[in-house]
Amino acid sequence: MKELEEKLLEMKDTSELMLDLAYSSLLYHNKDIAEEVFNLEQKVNDLQDSINTSILENTDIDPDKSFVLFKMADSIERFADAALDIADVVLRDIELHPVIKKSLSESDEHMVRKKIRKRSFLDGKTLKEAEMTTEIGMKVIAIRRGNNWAYGPDKNIKLKVGDVIFARGPRDSEDLLDKWVGATG
Amino acid sequence: MNGKSKDKELEKDHAELDYEDESVRELLTLMKDDSELIADLAYAAMVFENEELADEVHKLESEMDKMMYQIRLKSMLGARTREDAEQLSGLLQVASAAEQISDAAEDMVHLLDADVDLKPLLPHLLNKADEKVFTLKIEKGSDLANRTLGELHLESVTGVRVIAIRDDLKWIHGPNGETELKGDDLLIVRAHEEGYQKLWPVAHKEESWKELIG
Repeated sequence: MKELEEKLLEMKDTSELMLDLAYSSLLYHNKDIAEEVFNLEQKVNDLQDSINTSILENTDIDPDKSFVLFKMADSIERFADAALDIADVVLRDIELHPVIKKSLSESDEHMVRKKIRKRSFLDGKTLKEAEMTTEIGMKVIAIRRGNNWAYGPDKNIKLKVGDVIFARGPRDSEDLLDKWVGATG
Repeated sequence: MNGKSKDKELEKDHAELDYEDESVRELLTLMKDDSELIADLAYAAMVFENEELADEVHKLESEMDKMMYQIRLKSMLGARTREDAEQLSGLLQVASAAEQISDAAEDMVHLLDADVDLKPLLPHLLNKADEKVFTLKIEKGSDLANRTLGELHLESVTGVRVIAIRDDLKWIHGPNGETELKGDDLLIVRAHEEGYQKLWPVAHKEESWKELIG
C-alpha cells in the first residue's frame, strides 16, 4: 500500500514538472526541454502500469480504495498527456504563432530563464540552501550547465556561475530573482 | 528592468497585434492560468473532501469549454494563408491541452460523488507531496486582513499561493493581485511546509507582517 501511494505521488510530481517544462519549452522554443517532456511521459506511463498491476495483484486492498487509486492515476496521466501535447508543438518544424509567447508572458505564473552571473548570491549554494521557493516564491524546474541538463533538479545540486536556471513563479518575483542571480544591484 | 518598463514593452508589443490576435491572446492566457488553477482546486477538493470546491471545479470546467469554442472560432477566422493555419493549429493544440487538463480535473472530483470512502488514503497521500494544499484562517485583526494580495506580494515573499478564498458568502477561486483578504476569510493555499509555517503565525496574530519580511 505504501509503495502504491509513493508511486502515485511520484506520478503527480512528475506530471506537474512536465507541465512546467512544457510551457517553458514553448516560451523559449527550446527543443531540449520539449524532448525531456517526452522522456518523462514514458516514466509516467511506466508508473501507471505498475500501479495498475499492483492494485490488481494485491487482493488486500478494498475495492473502494482500488477504485480511487485507478481514477486518480488516470486523471494524473491525462495531465501528463496534456503536457506532451504542448511540447509536441515545439518539436514540429513550424514557427510558433507570436501570440503564444505573448500569452505565456502575461500569465499569472511566470516562466523565467536566468543566467547566474559573477558574484551572484547563488554561486556555490545548493538549491536547498538558497530556499528560493520560500524566500522569493520561485521554483527551479531545470538547470543547464554547458550542454548538460538537470530537470526537476535535486535539492543538493550546487549552483555555479554560468549555470542557466529555468524557474516558475509569480510575476513580481522576477525582479527579486534578477537580484539573486546578479543581473541587477 | 523594472516592472513598469516591462509593462510598457508588452503594451507596445500588443499594439502590433491586430484585434483578433489580441482576443486570442487574452483567451489563451486565461486558459493557461485556469488550467493550473483547476488542477490545484481539484487536488484541494480531494484532500479536504470538499463538495463546494468540487463545484468550483465544475464551474471552471464549463467556462473552459466556452473559451475553447471561442478560441477555435477566432483562430479559424484569423487564418488567411496556409502558414497562418499551421501556426494557428499549434496554438489551438496548446489551448486544447489546457482544456484536457480541466476535463481530467473534473473527472478527478467526480470521485467525491461516487459513494466511496476516500479517507484516509488521499489526504495522507497528497500531504506527502513536495508542495501541499493547506487551509489557513485569517484571524480578525491579523496583519493580513484588509490588505490585497498584490500589496503583500504574498507569493513572492512566502512562496504561498492562494488557490481559493471562502468568505461569509461565497468562494472566490483564482484570486488576483486586487483581491483583498479579510478577517475570518478561509484560504486554501498551495505551499511548501516551510512557507506555510512562515505565514501561519501572521494569520493567527502571533506575529506581524513586518516581522515576517524581516
